[in-house]
Amino acid sequence: MENYLCKGHKALEELKDDEVIRKRLLIDGDGAGDDRRINLLVKSFIKWCNSGSQEEGYSQYQRMLSTLSQCEFSMGKTLLVYDMNLREMENYEKIYKEIECSIAGAHEKIAECKKQILQAKRIRKNRQEYDALAKVIQRHPDRHETLKELEALGKELEHLSHIKESVEDKLELRRKQFHVLLSTIHELQQTLENDEKLSEVEEAQETSMETDPKP
Amino acid sequence: MEVFQALQRLHMIIFSQNVSPCGKFLAAGNNYGQIAIFSLSAALSSEAKEESKKPMVTFQAHDGPVYSMVSTDRHLLSAGDGEVKAWLWAEILKKGCKELWRRQPPYRTSLEVPEINALLLVPKENSLILAGGDCQLHTMDLETGTFTRALWGHTDYIHCLALRERSPEVLSGGEDGAVRLWDLRTAKEVQTIEVYKHEECSRPHNGRWIGCLATDSDWMVCGGGPALTLWHLRSSTPTTIFPMRAPQKHVTFYQDLILSAGQGRCVNQWQLSGELKAQVPGSSPGLLSLSLNQQPAAPECKVLTAAGNSCRVDVFTNLGYRAFSLSF
Repeated sequence: MENYLCKGHKALEELKDDEVIRKRLLIDGDGAGDDRRINLLVKSFIKWCNSGSQEEGYSQYQRMLSTLSQCEFSMGKTLLVYDMNLREMENYEKIYKEIECSIAGAHEKIAECKKQILQAKRIRKNRQEYDALAKVIQRHPDRHETLKELEALGKELEHLSHIKESVEDKLELRRKQFHVLLSTIHELQQTLENDEKLSEVEEAQETSMETDPKP
Repeated sequence: MEVFQALQRLHMIIFSQNVSPCGKFLAAGNNYGQIAIFSLSAALSSEAKEESKKPMVTFQAHDGPVYSMVSTDRHLLSAGDGEVKAWLWAEILKKGCKELWRRQPPYRTSLEVPEINALLLVPKENSLILAGGDCQLHTMDLETGTFTRALWGHTDYIHCLALRERSPEVLSGGEDGAVRLWDLRTAKEVQTIEVYKHEECSRPHNGRWIGCLATDSDWMVCGGGPALTLWHLRSSTPTTIFPMRAPQKHVTFYQDLILSAGQGRCVNQWQLSGELKAQVPGSSPGLLSLSLNQQPAAPECKVLTAAGNSCRVDVFTNLGYRAFSLSF
């Protein structure tokens, strides 16, 4: 019973489907849009060939001309759209290439800038090294001043050594003079002593000679 | 087991970092002797997930902490507890963790093995300089593996090394408070700068140790116990003192800035004139190392990474802010 119901149900659905398909074919059997217009044109042409009265034929003819011009119009439109699409594609290709070029350019600039950064860092390092050394050097006194001080000290030294020399010369002279004086004094002393000794010896000889000749 | 792992992560300290020669991977060494390799390119890519911030591979490199790492164009050299070991980057990336070779510099006493605090590559002579607890700088030729020189002079252990490229000189800074410059050709000490003796920068309450060094041929920046100072090497004069109270543990020159990090969360950016340009906070309470990935082969991975007293490595893509953190 249920099987029959199911089969009956399916049969009904198929009938419905057929009805729907038939209806749609009837309405839309000529295809959509332009295709349909061309089909209708062909059919109306055939009808017009078989038509009887002139008026009807004329109006049919007018109608056919208008359908034809409609078809031509839509064809023209489609061609223009096609052209436009082609040109859009070209335009996009051009823009795409330009963007690629600018990307490559930007990459190169980035590489350049990186090199420049490295260079700048090196320069900064050198400058800082220079600054560090300069600070140390600044702490020591100025070279000119030190040179001047050295010169002044040198002059003083010279002056003092001159004085020392002259004092020493004077000392030598005095020493020599004293030496001469002392040696003359000694000589005089010696001569006086010698004279005394001689006179003593003579006296002794005289006394011995006086005692001798009196036997 | 999980509790143990969580405890381990809590107490982890990352001492050293290094970038692979291809620029896409970062190695980090911690105080348990493990080295973890993170993939920077995966973590920086636009589809990075949580797993990309975890290490690709972790292996036990040393028995003690890994204090220092450097990379040649094919090898990763790591040092910590008295030995320097080499690993091939290609092998590590394929998760094969066998060391290529290990060497120990000739120490005076064989009883105690002093730690190696700093490694430095000298590309011109293809040699490696090691310095650490025994107060000497050892040079090792990378081709033959022999130790060519031992430079004496420091009276206490050495913290850090830096290379002055123009005249091939090595600067070393140590616990004795002096920065010594060594000429590699004559193997002699050419200049000594005793930082703590200069009144402007010494801070006796912090000590006299030099924790970090960086040099730019004519200039040198050093910090640690004394204040972070910029020195002009030729005249041995301190030119600028950076007003930072906390002792700094790592410093480096970058473009026209000086980046420093130490006790305190932030990575500090200074200009040479002594002004603080920026202070960017990281996620660890104290930072021990900074690494700038400037490998030309991977310009997209050009980042600054900072690590220290935690299991996280902060990644800064732009010096202005912390982008994210990688974690052990």
